[in-house]
Amino acid sequence: METARYNRQIILPEVGIDGQQKLQQAKVLIVGAGGLGVAVLPYLAAAGIGEIGIIDDDRIEVTNLQRQVIYKSSSVGKSKVLEAKAMALELNPSIKINAFTEKLDSKNAILLFEQYDIIVDATDNLDTKYLINDACGVTNKPFVYGSVYKFEGQVSVFNYENGPTYRCLFPDESNEVKNCNDAGVMGISVGIIGMFQANEVLKMVLGIGDLLSGKLLVYNMLNNEQQKFEFSKKAMHAIDLLAFENKYSSIETATIEISAALALEQMHHPEVLFLDVRNADEYPKITIKNGIQIPLDRLESELHQLDVNATLLVFCQSGIRSKKAVEILRNNNFANAKSIAGGAKALDKIDVYKVFETL
Amino acid sequence: MIAVKYFGAIAEKTKSQGEEFSFSNMPLKDLLSVLKYKYELDLLSFSIAINQKIMQDTSSYILKSNDIVALLPPFAGG
Repeated sequence: METARYNRQIILPEVGIDGQQKLQQAKVLIVGAGGLGVAVLPYLAAAGIGEIGIIDDDRIEVTNLQRQVIYKSSSVGKSKVLEAKAMALELNPSIKINAFTEKLDSKNAILLFEQYDIIVDATDNLDTKYLINDACGVTNKPFVYGSVYKFEGQVSVFNYENGPTYRCLFPDESNEVKNCNDAGVMGISVGIIGMFQANEVLKMVLGIGDLLSGKLLVYNMLNNEQQKFEFSKKAMHAIDLLAFENKYSSIETATIEISAALALEQMHHPEVLFLDVRNADEYPKITIKNGIQIPLDRLESELHQLDVNATLLVFCQSGIRSKKAVEILRNNNFANAKSIAGGAKALDKIDVYKVFETL
Repeated sequence: MIAVKYFGAIAEKTKSQGEEFSFSNMPLKDLLSVLKYKYELDLLSFSIAINQKIMQDTSSYILKSNDIVALLPPFAGG
């Protein structure tokens, strides 16, 4: 580790070498490379967060430049996340930046969130905030919320150690609220709120201070008034993977893949059946109570063995044949079939007993 | 005396950061209906905090003297 680079924060007793190592081991995903995202990113990168993901499918527009200050005039038309990645690596070449030039949706959210420790909501619409909230619920990740309306900003930390979620604070999903494009915003305002978010991320990683979990911070840029409101968890807003899929996915768009860890968590669900499409002589053997083996080349002729309404979690050796199997199943009206990413090899790596302890 | 504070799009509708009402022992829901009617807030959704605590259930709360009511809509900009 480059201790000279981080000297001024390492000499803080609250950080120290231990804290710097925590920062280096942390993985943070920033959803959105707009005004909030570009405020958060350079500070996390400079502080030495070891791995930062950033996802956004937008390209830089001239109307962004007034508040998305890491982008250059000469970069108009280029991908935001690729430009952001280049900037962050120039700032700190010793960290890893993963740029995703796509939009966060219900199909990629779960697999992506599983790769990170903390999710930063730097989006500009309510639909994506509810999606982030629900995907964080499924993957058990905390998320740092920030949002701006004209000269006011909100900051909070949701789903931290099973704490209250975005839905506990704002249960009404039917809301329509203007974003910066419609309402107008000063660059400073998103910058200030992004700073509050980056601060919560660093505090969370370092384990210092009091996080805004269960608290909504509202900051007014015009009069500098700052208020905190407390809220508590509502049990009814807990969400699991099946509920998530039911909410977000129609038959056509349902995700094809599920991670091995999440698949195993479904093991005792009465409607879940594990389907091994390998041949009987393949190893490692995966023994699951709700399991059945039908080799891929016999699958179509053996479909009568399977319940059309069951959630079928399909695996092969490494996750390739099982995707084919899912295609066959979906074409035969098995809407709830999914391929387990990484297949038997990934399942075998997970200590099943450990998975159960957390249930 | 009861103080009401407005935020975000609500403050825009009411054209103020807040106001005071000189009554107490009034059901919160009655105050909300008055405000919704007066400022045409029907299309906006918001959470309600009393004395800095978000209320889970606003239907049965009776306002007391010196209560501070906050109307908090979600923000979306970023």
